[in-house]
Amino acid sequence: MNAMTMIALAVMGLVGAGLYGLLITRNLIKVVIALQILVKGALLALVAAGQASEQVNLGQSLAVTVIVADTIVAVVGLGLAVQAKRLLGTLDVKALSNLRG
Amino acid sequence: MADVLIILTMGLPWLGALAVWLTGDRRPHAQHRLAVGFALAAALAALLLLGSVSSTVELRIALGGAFGDFTFVPDGLGVFLTAVATVVGSLAVIFSVDYMHGEAQLGRYYALVLLFIGAMAGLALSGSLLLLFIFWEITALCSYALISFYNDDPKAVAGGIKALIITQIGGVGMLAGALVAYSYLGDYQISTLLSRYHELPSGVLAVLAFGFLAAAAAKSAQVPFHTWLPGAMEAPTPVSALIHAATMVNAGVYLLARFYPAFEGVSGWTTAVVVVGLVSALLAALMALCATDLKAALAYSTISQLGYMVYAVGVGAVFASQFHLLSHAVFKALLFLSAGAVIHAVGTRDMRQMGGLGRQMPFNRAVFITGALALAGLPLLNGFWSKELILEHGLHDGPVWAYAGMLVGAGLTALYTFRMVWLVFYGERRGSGHAHDAGPMMRVATGALAVGTLTTWLLVGAFGDLLEDSLPFHGLHVEPASALLEEIITAPATLVALGVVALGLLAWWFRDRLAWIGRAFPQVGQAAAADFGFNWLNRQIVHGTGQIAEALRTTQTGYLNWNVLGIVAGFVVVLGILALG
Repeated sequence: MNAMTMIALAVMGLVGAGLYGLLITRNLIKVVIALQILVKGALLALVAAGQASEQVNLGQSLAVTVIVADTIVAVVGLGLAVQAKRLLGTLDVKALSNLRG
Repeated sequence: MADVLIILTMGLPWLGALAVWLTGDRRPHAQHRLAVGFALAAALAALLLLGSVSSTVELRIALGGAFGDFTFVPDGLGVFLTAVATVVGSLAVIFSVDYMHGEAQLGRYYALVLLFIGAMAGLALSGSLLLLFIFWEITALCSYALISFYNDDPKAVAGGIKALIITQIGGVGMLAGALVAYSYLGDYQISTLLSRYHELPSGVLAVLAFGFLAAAAAKSAQVPFHTWLPGAMEAPTPVSALIHAATMVNAGVYLLARFYPAFEGVSGWTTAVVVVGLVSALLAALMALCATDLKAALAYSTISQLGYMVYAVGVGAVFASQFHLLSHAVFKALLFLSAGAVIHAVGTRDMRQMGGLGRQMPFNRAVFITGALALAGLPLLNGFWSKELILEHGLHDGPVWAYAGMLVGAGLTALYTFRMVWLVFYGERRGSGHAHDAGPMMRVATGALAVGTLTTWLLVGAFGDLLEDSLPFHGLHVEPASALLEEIITAPATLVALGVVALGLLAWWFRDRLAWIGRAFPQVGQAAAADFGFNWLNRQIVHGTGQIAEALRTTQTGYLNWNVLGIVAGFVVVLGILALG
C-alpha cells in the first residue's frame, strides 16, 4: 500500500465520517464538528492532488484558502448555535426550519 | 483618434449619470443643465465618430482567458446606431427639462437615461459577442428601471417587470449563442463568427441563427414577444421616445442586420424572419387601429414599423432596413415627444378625452402631423423613401404573399395614423380644462426632430457609402443617392404603395360609410382590442410557472439532514455516471 492509496483512504474516511455526522445529528454544535471533519478530508485531498499533479504550490495555496473559509464557517456556525440556544432554548436544527417551503 | 472618440461617446453619458446623481435632488436646475450638457457632448462625439468610420478594431481591452478581448469596431452599422442613440437621446433629455419639471427624484431619472445612452453606444460599437451581451443587458436593465420610474404605481411596476422578463428570454438566447460560437471558434469576436461561420456544423449554426432571431424578436417587440411594449408605456414619455421607439427596440433589427451574412444560408431562417416581420407588422397595425390610449397606439405602431425592418432583413435588404431604422427613429421620436407634450398639457393618455386640441396647441399639431405623415409614408418625408425602398426590395427579392401583406400593412398604417391625428387634434374637445402649448425646451426638441423628419432622406447617399465601405462581410452594393431616389420615384411598386396609402386615407375619410365592415366582422375588432390573446397566453405561462413552483415547495423541507441526504445522493449519482463512463 503506497502513500497515495493511504491518503485516498484517509480522505474517504474523513469525508464519510463528516457526511455521516451531518446526516444523523440534529445538534447544531455537532453539525459544526461534522462539517469540520468533512472539510479536513477535502483539505487533505487538495494537498494530495497538488502533489500528484506536480502542482504543489497550487494545491497548498488552495488548501490555505480553504482553511481561512473553513474557520469563518466554524466561527459563524458556533455563533449561530449560541444565538439559537438563547432565542429558541434548544440546539436542535429542526427548530431552525423557518425556510421550510 | 477613433479610440478617443469611442471612449468619449460611451464615457461622457456615464460620467454625466454619475455627476447628475451626485448633484442631488435638491438642486434640480443643476441636474437639468448637467444632463443636457453631457448628452449633447456625447452626441457631438458620436457625430465626430462618423468621420472616422472603419471596419477594423480601434479599441481593444485585453482581458484574456475565457473572456477574450473586449473590442470596439466603429463600422458603419455601429456608428450610425450610436449617432441615432446619442442625438435622439440628447433631444429626449432636452425635452425632459420641460416634461419632468418639478418631478421628484430627477437624479435617478437622468442617471438612468444617461446610463442607457452610454450602454446603447457600447452595444452598437461592440466587436465582441460577450461584450455585446453585457451592453444588451445593461440597456434592458435601464429600460426596466425607467418603465417602473413611477414606482408607487402598480401598473408601472408590473410593466417594468414584464419588459424585463420578456427581454431576458431573448438575452438568454443571445448568451447561449455567444457561448456556442466560442466553443466552436475559440473566439468571441463578431468578425470571427462572420468570416468563419461555415466551420460550424450546420445544426449548430441553425441553433445560433434561431437563438439570435428569438433575442432580436424579444428586444424589438416582435410577435410573439411584443406584449411588453404597450405595457412599457407607463414610463415617462421622453423615455418612451428614446428607449421604446428610437433606440433600444432597434437593437433587435441591428442584431439581425449585423449577423445576416452568417445566417442567410441557414435553411428556413430568412423565411422565418420574413414571417415574424409580416405578422408583427399586420397584427400590430390592427391593434393600433383599436387602441384608445395615445401612447399605446404609438407603441403598436412602433411594433408594426419594426416589423417592416425585420421583414427587410428577411428579404436581404439590409441597407433598406437600416435606412428605415433611421427614418423611424426620427419620426417616431418626434411623434412620441409631441404626444408627450399633449399628455403633459391635458393630463390623460386617453384619446377619447382629447379632440380639438389643434386650436390650443398649433405648434404641437404642426410637428405631430409632420411625424404622422412620415409614418403614413406620404411623399417627400423620410418615412416615404425608406418604406418604399423596403417594399421595392420586398417585391423583387421576397415572396409575393409577404409583399402583399406588407402593402395591406401600409394601408392600415395610413388609416390608424389619421385616426390618431383626428382623435387628438380635430373635432370637438371631449375632455375638460385648458391645454397649454408645448414649453420652449419641448419646442426645441420636437422642432429639431421635425426638421430631421423632413430632411434625413437626403442623407441616403452618404449613409449608403458609409455602410458599403465599412461592412466587409455584407457585400452591400448601394447605388448613388440620385439613382436610388429616382428608382424609388419611378418604380411601379411605389405607385402601388401610394395607392394603398391613399385607400387607407379614404377609408378614414369615409369611415361612417365603411362602418358596416367593422359591424360585419366584430370578432376581428374584439380580438385586436384584446391583443389577439397574446396577453392571455402570457398570463397562462406566468400562472403555470407559479403552479409548478408551488408544487415544488414541498421539496424544500428546511431540515438540514434531508438536505445533506440530497447532496450525498447527488454525489452518488455523479460518481455512478463517471464510473459508467
